Amino acid sequence: MPRFLHTADWQIGRQYARFAPEDALALAEARLSAVERLADIAHQEAVDAVLVAGDVFDAQTVSDRTIRRLFNAMGAYAGPWVLIPGNHDAALAESVWTRARRLGAVAANVHLALSAQVMAFPERGFAVLPAPLTQRQTAADETAWFDHAVTAPGLVRVGLAHGSVQGVLAEGIDSPNPIAADRAGRAALDYLALGDWHGTRRIDARTWYSGTPEQDRFKANDPGNVLLVDIPAAGAEPKVEVRAVGRHPWIELEESLAVASDLERTIARLQALPELAVVDLSLAGELHLLGRQQLEAALSVAEARFRSLRTDLSRLRLQPTEDDLAALHADGYVGRVIAELREEQEGGNAELAREAMAILAALLLETQGQGETA
Amino acid sequence: MRLLRLKVEQLRRFRQPVEIRDLDAGINLFTGPNESGKSTLVRAIRAAFFERYKSSSVEDLQPWGDSAAAPTVELEFEWQGKRWKLVKSFLKRKRCDVSVDGVAFSGEEAEDKLADLLGFEFPGRGASRPEHWGIPGLLWIEQGAGHEIHKPVEHAGSHLKSVLGSSLGEVTSSAGDALIARITKERARLLTATGRPTGDFATALEAHERLEREHADLQGRIRQYRQQVDRLGQLRDEQARDDGERIWEAYRQQARAAEVRLVEVLAWQREQERDQQALQVCQASVRTSLDLLGRFEAQRKDLHKRAADRDVAAQALAAQEARRPAVERALADARAAFEAARVAVRLAREQQQRKDLARELEQADAELAGLDQALARARELHEALLRQRGLRQTLHIDAKALARLRKAEDELARLAIRQEAVATRLQFDLREPGAVTLAGEPLHGQGERLLLEPAEIVLGQLGSLRILPGGDDIADLVRKRQGLDDDRASLLSVLGVASLAAADIRHEQCRELDGTIRRDESVLESLAPEGLEALAGRRQLKQARREELARLIAALPEPQQGGLSVSRAEVQLDGAGESLKAAEAAEAGFRSALLLATQALESARSEWSRLDGELQGADRRQHEKLAAEQLLELRANENRLEQALRERQKQIDLANPGVLRQDVERFTRSADAAEKAAEQRRLELERLKASLEALGAEGLEERSAELDVELARAVRRKDELGRRAGALDLLLVRLTDHRLQLTRQLQAPLQRHLNRYLQLLFPEASLSVDEALVPEILVRQGLDGEERGRFAELSFGAREQMGLISRLAYADLLREAGRPTLIILDDALVHSDVERLGNMKRVLFDAAQRHQILLFSCHPDSWRDLGVAPRDVAGLGMPAAPSP
Repeated sequence: MPRFLHTADWQIGRQYARFAPEDALALAEARLSAVERLADIAHQEAVDAVLVAGDVFDAQTVSDRTIRRLFNAMGAYAGPWVLIPGNHDAALAESVWTRARRLGAVAANVHLALSAQVMAFPERGFAVLPAPLTQRQTAADETAWFDHAVTAPGLVRVGLAHGSVQGVLAEGIDSPNPIAADRAGRAALDYLALGDWHGTRRIDARTWYSGTPEQDRFKANDPGNVLLVDIPAAGAEPKVEVRAVGRHPWIELEESLAVASDLERTIARLQALPELAVVDLSLAGELHLLGRQQLEAALSVAEARFRSLRTDLSRLRLQPTEDDLAALHADGYVGRVIAELREEQEGGNAELAREAMAILAALLLETQGQGETA
Repeated sequence: MRLLRLKVEQLRRFRQPVEIRDLDAGINLFTGPNESGKSTLVRAIRAAFFERYKSSSVEDLQPWGDSAAAPTVELEFEWQGKRWKLVKSFLKRKRCDVSVDGVAFSGEEAEDKLADLLGFEFPGRGASRPEHWGIPGLLWIEQGAGHEIHKPVEHAGSHLKSVLGSSLGEVTSSAGDALIARITKERARLLTATGRPTGDFATALEAHERLEREHADLQGRIRQYRQQVDRLGQLRDEQARDDGERIWEAYRQQARAAEVRLVEVLAWQREQERDQQALQVCQASVRTSLDLLGRFEAQRKDLHKRAADRDVAAQALAAQEARRPAVERALADARAAFEAARVAVRLAREQQQRKDLARELEQADAELAGLDQALARARELHEALLRQRGLRQTLHIDAKALARLRKAEDELARLAIRQEAVATRLQFDLREPGAVTLAGEPLHGQGERLLLEPAEIVLGQLGSLRILPGGDDIADLVRKRQGLDDDRASLLSVLGVASLAAADIRHEQCRELDGTIRRDESVLESLAPEGLEALAGRRQLKQARREELARLIAALPEPQQGGLSVSRAEVQLDGAGESLKAAEAAEAGFRSALLLATQALESARSEWSRLDGELQGADRRQHEKLAAEQLLELRANENRLEQALRERQKQIDLANPGVLRQDVERFTRSADAAEKAAEQRRLELERLKASLEALGAEGLEERSAELDVELARAVRRKDELGRRAGALDLLLVRLTDHRLQLTRQLQAPLQRHLNRYLQLLFPEASLSVDEALVPEILVRQGLDGEERGRFAELSFGAREQMGLISRLAYADLLREAGRPTLIILDDALVHSDVERLGNMKRVLFDAAQRHQILLFSCHPDSWRDLGVAPRDVAGLGMPAAPSP
C-alpha cells in the first residue's frame, strides 16, 4: 500500500524582478524552505516516495550553489525521491541535471528520471513511469509510451509527467507539451502525478496536478499545496489529501476611493490581510491632500507587516480641497499653480501633474509643519 | 496732501519763531545762500514727522550753544478735506499734539497716526534712521542724495507693495518665494540648470544603462549557451547514428570492390596495348613486304626501259656516223680556200712595194737635181765672196780719221768765213779778161776776192797794186788756217784720198760692198748651211740611195694586169679564215657528238646487261616468291589482331575504367570524410562539453534573473526620479511664470508713470524696474540705435535725474492709491546741465499739477523759469518780515 508525496513546479532559482531586491531574495529563499518543509512532511508521513513532476529548477543555468542547496534541502527525507525534468529544466544534452551529477550533488536516494524508462521499486511495491521532457517544448505526447510500458505484476503503476492535459486546462496554457486526458486510464496507471499547472487541480480520480508548494504569482488558483497520495492497492482508487505548505500568499487588492470613508475601508482591508503576504495594492479615484498623508502613514505600517507591499497609485488623483489650500496657506500665485495642476491631472500630462501636485503638497505640508512647530 | 503752514522756533538757526504761510498746492521754491536756513527748514519738517517727541537724540535741533532751548515745529496741512495741525516740541519741552479737524490727539498716539498716514515707522529708540522713513524717505530727497534710489525704495518697499497690491486687488503668495527656492534646490539635486540629469538621477540613469548592458550581455551569453546545448544534442544524435552505421566502412567496402574491378580492367588494357603493339609490328611487316614486291616490279619495268634506251643510243650513233664525210669534205675545202687567199695577199703586197719604191726613186732623182743646182750656185757665191772680200779690204777707210778730216774741213770752213769777214774785200769788174792778175791769178769778169794777206794786184801793163789787209787776228787766222791745212793734208794722206769728198765716196763704196757681202753670205748659208763640203756629201748620199732603189725595183717582179689590191686580198683572206675556223669547229663538234653517242650506247648497253643479269638470277626468283607468301601470312595475322582489339575495347569501354577510378576515389574520400567528420564531431563534442560545463557553472540564468531584479529596480528608480525631476521642473516653471506674471502686473502702473516723465527728458526712452520696483535699465534711442544702461552705471547727473523721475512716478502711484504725497527736494539737480535741467523743470512742473513740491535751492537763477516766485529763506529770520 504505497504512499506518495506528489509535488511539482518548485522553480528553484526563480527571482522576482517586480519586487524590491530584499523582498525578491526572501521569496527566492522561501522556495527552498518549502522544499525543506516537504522533506519534513515526507519524513513525518513516512511516504514511500516523493514524486516531483518537473520544473524543479526554474532555469538550466542556476548557480552551482543553488543546485547544492536544493539537494541539501531534500536531506530530511531519506526515502526515494523521483524527479523528472520539466520544460524549465528539460533533460537536454547539457542540463542542470547533468551538472548536478557532475557536481556529485545528487544523493543516492534521489532518482533522476532523465529518460523514458520504467523505474521499478519492487521492495516498495510500485513502479514509476516517467515522461521526462528532453526538449524545451515538444508537440508530441511524451506519456504515450505509458500505454505499452510493462511493469511487474502487482506493482502499483505511477505515471510522472509534466505538461498540459489536453482539453482540460483551457485557460492559460503556456506549454505545448501535451498530455492525453485519459492517459491514466489508457495506460492502466494507478496514479498520474502531473506538474506544470501551478495551482492544485484534480483532473480525474487518478490524475492530479499538485501545484507549486510556494505561490509565485498573483493567480488565485489554489497554489501552495502538496498532495499526499495513498494507493490502497494496485488498481484501487487513490486517496488524495491536499495539504497547504505555502508561507507567502500572493494577494492583489484593488480599491477605488471616492469619499472619505473609502480610504478608511481600504486601510482596514489592508490591516486584515495575513502577515508575510505578498500584496499588490492599486488605488484609483480621488484623494485630498490630507487624506494622502493618512494613506501614506497606513501604507508605511503595512509595508513592515507584509513580506512585500507594492502600491500602484497611478490612477489616484490628488484633489486639494479649499480647506487644504487654506491650511497650507497656498495663496497668491502658488494657489493658481495648484489650481492648474489639479485640472491637468485629467489631461495628457496627468502623470507629471499628479507627481508635481504631490511634491507641492508635500513641500507645503512640510513648511506648514515647520511653521507650526516654530 | 497739501502743506499749508510751517512754523519753526528755537530750532537751529531760527532762535526766533519763523513762519511760512500760504504754501502753494504746486511748486514752492525756497532760495537763499548757504547757511541761510534752507536745510534747517527741511530738518524741521523731517523731525516733526520722523522723530519721537520724547527722543533725546535730537540735540542737533537746538540752536548752537542753547541747551535750554525747546525746538518746536508747527505744521498745518490738508488731507482729504480734513485739516491737520501738528505741534511738536523736543528736549526741554517734550510734547506732541495733533488735531484733525478739531479732534485732538497727543503723544505717541498722535505720532503713530501721522506715521500711518504717511507710511513710515519710528525707531525702537534713538534717532530715526533711513530704514524707518518709509514713503517720505523716498519722496523727501535730502541734499546730495537724489541719485540714491535703491535703498529708499527698499525701505519704502513694504508700504509701496501693500499700496500697489491693494490697488491691484491681488495678494502675493506669502510662501511663494520660499517655495520656489525650495523647489529650485530640489530640482538642482536631479537636474542641472540646463535640464540635464545630475546627482541621483544621473546615477540612476547610469546604473540603469549599466544594468541594461549587463543584461543584454548576459542574455547574449545565455543564448550562446542554449545554442551550444542544442548543438551538443544534435552532435550527440549524429554521433550515435554514425557510430551505429559506421558508414565509412561501407564506403571502404565499395572502394575496394571498385578497385578489384579496376585492376581487372587495367589488365585488359595492358593486353590491349600489347596487341596494339603486335598489330603495329604486323602492319609494319606488311608494309615492308609490299615495298619489296613493289621494288621487284619496278626493276622489271626498269629493264624494259633500259633496253629501249640502249636502242635509242645505237640509233643516235649511227646518225652521227652518217654525217662524217660531209664534215670532212667541208673542212678540206675551207683549207684550200684559205691557202689561195694567202697567196693572193702576198702578191698584192709585192706589187704595192714596187709601186712605193718607184715613187721614191722618182723623188730621189728630183732631189739629186736640186742638190746639183744648189752646189753650183754655192760654189759661185763662194768665189764672189772671196773677190768682194778682197776688194773690200782695199777700199777700207778709217771711219775715225774720216770723222777728224770732216771736222778739220768744217773748222777750215768756219775759219774761211771768219777770214772772209775780216778779209779785205776786193771786188772787181774787169772787161778784158786776164789783163789783171791778182797775186798771180788772172782776174776776169766781175768777181770779188777777199784778201787776207798782202796781195799784189798786177794790173797788167799798167803796173801792180799792193793791197795789205788790215786787223790784228788776220795773221792768227792765217796761222790757224795753215795748221788746219796741215792737219787736213795729213789726214788726206793717211786716208789715201785726195779730198774729203773722195773719202766720202770711198766710204760709200765700202758700205755698198759690205751689203753685197752679207747678202751673198746669207744666200750661201741657206744653200749650204753646213758648208759646201756637207752639201756635196749630201748629194753623194742621195746618189747612193737612188742607185739602191733602182736595184730594188729591178729585184721585184713586173707588175701584172688585174692584180688584187692588198686590202681586198686581206678581206678575202679573213673570210677564208673564218670559214676554215667554222669548218674546223663543225668537225670537232661532230667528233665529240660521235664520242658521246658512242659512250651512251656503251653505258646503256652495260646497264641493260647488268640488270638483265640480275633479273635473270635464280635466287632472285626464289626471293620474290617468298615475299609474296609472307605477305599473305601477314595480312591474315593483321586481321586477327584487329578483330581481337575491337572486341576487347568494347569490353573495356563497357567497364569504364575512368568512372571506376573515380568510384574508388569517391568512396575512399567519402570514407575519409566520414571518419574525419566523426573525429571532428568528437572533438567538437569535447569542446562543447567543456565550454558548457564552464558556462553552466556560472549560473547564467540565475544571474540573469537576479539581474532582472536589479534592473527592474533600476528602472523603477530611474522612472521615479525622472518623474520627480519632470514634476519639479514643471513646478518651477509654473511657479516662476506665475510669479513673473504677477510682478509684471505690479510693475505696469509704475512703468506707465515712469515713462510719462521720461518722455519729457528722453523721447522714446524707457526705464524698466526690477521686482523690487527699483529702476533697473534705461533704454534710449541713440545715434547708433538702442542704448541700454544699468541704472547703477549711469552718470551721477543722469542717476539724479532718473532718481527724481522715479520718485515722482512713485508719488503718482501713491496718489492713485489714495495716499498722501508731499515732495521735498533739497538742493536737487545741481549736477544737471542746462538742457537737462530745462527738461527736468518741465517734469517738475508736470508733477506739480498733482503733487505739492517744496524745492530748496541756493541757485535762484537756475529756477527762475519754474513758473513760481521764489521765497528768500534768508529773509525769514528777519523779525520785520510782516506777514501778508
